[in-house]
Amino acid sequence: MNHNYSPVTLLLLLWCVSFSSTAQAEQAATPADAEQVARTVQEGVYTEKGADTCIKCHDEDADYPVFDIFKTKHGTRGDKRAPFAGLQCEACHGPGVAGAKAMQEALDRGGHVGKVRPGQKRPPIFNFGDKSDESVKEQNRMCLTCHQSDSHIAWMGTKHEGSDVACANCHTIHAAQDPVLTRMTQPDVCFKCHTRQRADFYKPSNHPVRFGQIACTECHNPHGAISASLLVRPTLNETCYTCHAEKRGPFLWEHAPVPEDCTLCHNPHGSIHKALLNKTAPLLCQQCHSQAGHPSVAYTGAGLPSGSASGFMLAGACLNCHSQVHGSNHPSGVKLMR
Amino acid sequence: MKPEPHATTGVRLLALALISLQPVSAARAEPPTVDTSNWKCKYCAFEEGFSGEVEVGAGHVSGDSFKFGEYNGLEEEGGFFVGNATARYRAEDATYLDLLFYDLGLDSRSLRVEGGKQGKYKLFLEYDEIPHYISDSTATPYRGTGSETLSLPAGWAEAGSTAGMSALGGSLRDVDLHTKRERVGVGVAFVPRSNWQTAVQYRHEEKEGKMATAGSFFFNAAQLVEPVDYVTDQVDASVSYSASNWQAKLAYYGSMFDNKDQSLLWQNAYTPLVAGADEGQLALAPDNQFHQIVLSGAYQLSQRTQASADVAVGRMEQDEDFLPATVNTSLLVPSLPRSSADAEVDTLTANFRLVSAVTDKLRLNGAYTYNDRDNDTPQSTYSWVTTDSFVATPRTNQPYSFTQSELKLSGDYRIDKSTKVSAGFDHDRHERTRQEVNTTRENTVWGKLSKRAKENLDLSVKFAHAERDNSPYKPAPDVDPEQNPLLRKYNLADRTRNSAEFHASLIPHERVNLGFAVDFARDDYSRSQLGLTDGQELGLNADASVLLTDDTSLHLFVGRERIRSKQAGSQSGSVPDWFARNDDTVTSAGIGIAHQLIEDKLDVGADYTAIRSTGKIDVDSGTPDPPFPDLKTDLDSLKLYANYRLREDMTLNAAYWYENYNSKDWHLDGVAPDTIPNVLSFGADSPDYEIHVVTLSLRYKF
Repeated sequence: MNHNYSPVTLLLLLWCVSFSSTAQAEQAATPADAEQVARTVQEGVYTEKGADTCIKCHDEDADYPVFDIFKTKHGTRGDKRAPFAGLQCEACHGPGVAGAKAMQEALDRGGHVGKVRPGQKRPPIFNFGDKSDESVKEQNRMCLTCHQSDSHIAWMGTKHEGSDVACANCHTIHAAQDPVLTRMTQPDVCFKCHTRQRADFYKPSNHPVRFGQIACTECHNPHGAISASLLVRPTLNETCYTCHAEKRGPFLWEHAPVPEDCTLCHNPHGSIHKALLNKTAPLLCQQCHSQAGHPSVAYTGAGLPSGSASGFMLAGACLNCHSQVHGSNHPSGVKLMR
Repeated sequence: MKPEPHATTGVRLLALALISLQPVSAARAEPPTVDTSNWKCKYCAFEEGFSGEVEVGAGHVSGDSFKFGEYNGLEEEGGFFVGNATARYRAEDATYLDLLFYDLGLDSRSLRVEGGKQGKYKLFLEYDEIPHYISDSTATPYRGTGSETLSLPAGWAEAGSTAGMSALGGSLRDVDLHTKRERVGVGVAFVPRSNWQTAVQYRHEEKEGKMATAGSFFFNAAQLVEPVDYVTDQVDASVSYSASNWQAKLAYYGSMFDNKDQSLLWQNAYTPLVAGADEGQLALAPDNQFHQIVLSGAYQLSQRTQASADVAVGRMEQDEDFLPATVNTSLLVPSLPRSSADAEVDTLTANFRLVSAVTDKLRLNGAYTYNDRDNDTPQSTYSWVTTDSFVATPRTNQPYSFTQSELKLSGDYRIDKSTKVSAGFDHDRHERTRQEVNTTRENTVWGKLSKRAKENLDLSVKFAHAERDNSPYKPAPDVDPEQNPLLRKYNLADRTRNSAEFHASLIPHERVNLGFAVDFARDDYSRSQLGLTDGQELGLNADASVLLTDDTSLHLFVGRERIRSKQAGSQSGSVPDWFARNDDTVTSAGIGIAHQLIEDKLDVGADYTAIRSTGKIDVDSGTPDPPFPDLKTDLDSLKLYANYRLREDMTLNAAYWYENYNSKDWHLDGVAPDTIPNVLSFGADSPDYEIHVVTLSLRYKF
């Protein structure tokens, strides 16, 4: 067996195991037809008293307290665009009497606010998040009704959208301060899925996300962007230059990979090598530089301080002389030494 | 229920796509008309007036460590002020004011004030400090650090190597390397009409401090302290419009960079190899500007199909006056062909996307990206001087241009409510000027299966296979000496990439969430004889969060990552005769617990994180040379806290933070300023620390 492919084999094995345990997965119902949902919302029967109906049960002692909505933009009456200037809770959760989803059970029993017998389960209302009965598409459609403009224009077709990420997977609406909109708490929300990046930011060389100094959204626009990896600027390098404008040049003497792609040498999330480098000098540099003379030499442990203490390996290694690796504007900077 | 038959032919897919393009009269449902006259909202707790909380207290750091305080401002032993505050004002007419003050007592402080009338306008002012403590074990004989001129002390004894610099020991002075950014931002957003949004933001950033650089005279080098005194101004302005079935945004971005220091002049610490090579001069980052206009839009062609596009046009400019070719007045150098580079790069990035839910089960996605960097910097031939020592053969500058175009096609098919299959094809083409390869082409095919295997178990698996080939490899123009012709630079080389991902999330109980992920990628550069020949990455991550009781929650994570690569070199200037391996491993683990000890009175918690990283390097040149020691870092971090509610509106917070960090880096360990004969180094150490931080604070809510 080819040892190098063992992780693939492992994945296949995991996949097979997981399927064998779920071969009898239940036959799922057809997702609610989009037009039917829209029609149900249109024709739905709303409660007689609006939010007062809901708050009777969903008070501050409820399992899922909702009162903090009044500390948020959604709960601001003076903004006519806001839910509480209109259909209140039912603006997002759909008509309380006849649920937004074509849910026969709910309709039969008078909807979420209808009477239920002791022990009987209350028919759900249009809800959001992991425990929602609605499809992600329908949940997001509700949010996009108001939030499709400006920074959300490019949402459709993004990796997040295509991976069925619900708005409520990241956003907490009934909180005084949505954690994903606060710099210090945002990374933990992203790390729920992006576990590898959490580990990256603990590496010895990192960007200060761990300490709340910069947030993921300093570089990424999770709602969609022109660039790959949902970056805030049209290209990766332009994103890096927002904080590192000194590396933008254009320099008289360019180092060819630099203007093309910073990640050819750096990992922006973290590295065990200094300056977020993917590898360490001199070997990193020698992956592209092979000229006769010092770039072609095999630098071994013989060049450690216990041996001949090589200037090509120790301290800054190649950068002891070629310090202008990002480009030089010196007329004599052709070898990035001035 | 029987699933719909699969679309089996391209013709049928095309027909479905065309059907889906049919316009609809109303893409989104109009708001329903509801009689809300009885909707009093009498139980609604609308907020009016001022509220907020203030936290004040004191903390103590047990020791000095730049690595511990690298970004958090806790780099120095001693006490510090704990100050955080938030305040908010709300009025019935949607007027609001938000204030946020964070880390007031530290170098990492930030403030933000935002106010306005929700739905109409907002104004904000923010201030941020971001420190970066780089090294506190650095020493240099040079005076004037932080300025543009570094000089050696009186009585300096030049020598051919560092060991002979007899005045070095007595001349060394500690110099801390650190920088600090201070940012001030202001912005205004205005909603002139219900469908319009406008916004302007301006950010002024000053970055000051000292960082490391180096300079040499031929093969004799010195690590030097570079002054940092940057000012960067950035402007973002945008106007956007949103209709029911289309949205558009026009934006401008401008970035102006100004370096207060143009050059770094330093005295040669070595005996000059040639007459007049007593001083060297480095160019520091030149002033430059970037301006860009971005137009974005999305159009709902039908209820099932959306098209969107972005076009960004920009220009980078740099026209800083050149320094002289050398400060060595003994050399006769022909005059420069220009007084500045007059560098100019035009950028064009465009992106077009079409997403269509052809049927309820089938979705097709198409995207095309075009990214062009057109470097118009004039080419001239420069008589140059190598390291202020020798007049070299004239060289012509090579302004690099490139164009990337990428087409991505993919489709998702939802077999049933719980199963989705996706597949795609990407074609990525790069064209470059003045490099070894003009064109690289990469084709990627991928497939993904997502399955809600059970009500509480989500699984996904993805495989991708990519092949990159290139136009013939030829030496780059005007590179002297030439690269070994067998070298293939890894961004230009033929490559086969295989990657796989497996993700699982399980909710075995309503109080338990489990996640597991495996990511693997292998890059095969076996057609490269020299350079990078193989790369592999494997990441394993698992996490769990458990609500043990109503009062106790637990969070755990473990991760392991391995990054390996192989490369080959040639000392003989021909075929490969040495081989190297890089093998990095990072293991991380964390556990956190939060517990309510006394209901509504006392909350306690603990977080422990451990990170172990190892970088193994093995260079095989066919001789029995000693091995490299591992690059190592060990980090243990423990945080404990207790919050005791004294009154309804007042909480006493106590926290303890312990970190222990050990690192080993053969680049630095055992390297004193005079260890390397031809590099006068900083003699910096790889950082180690053991730090305790305690804080006690009072939080008052109003």
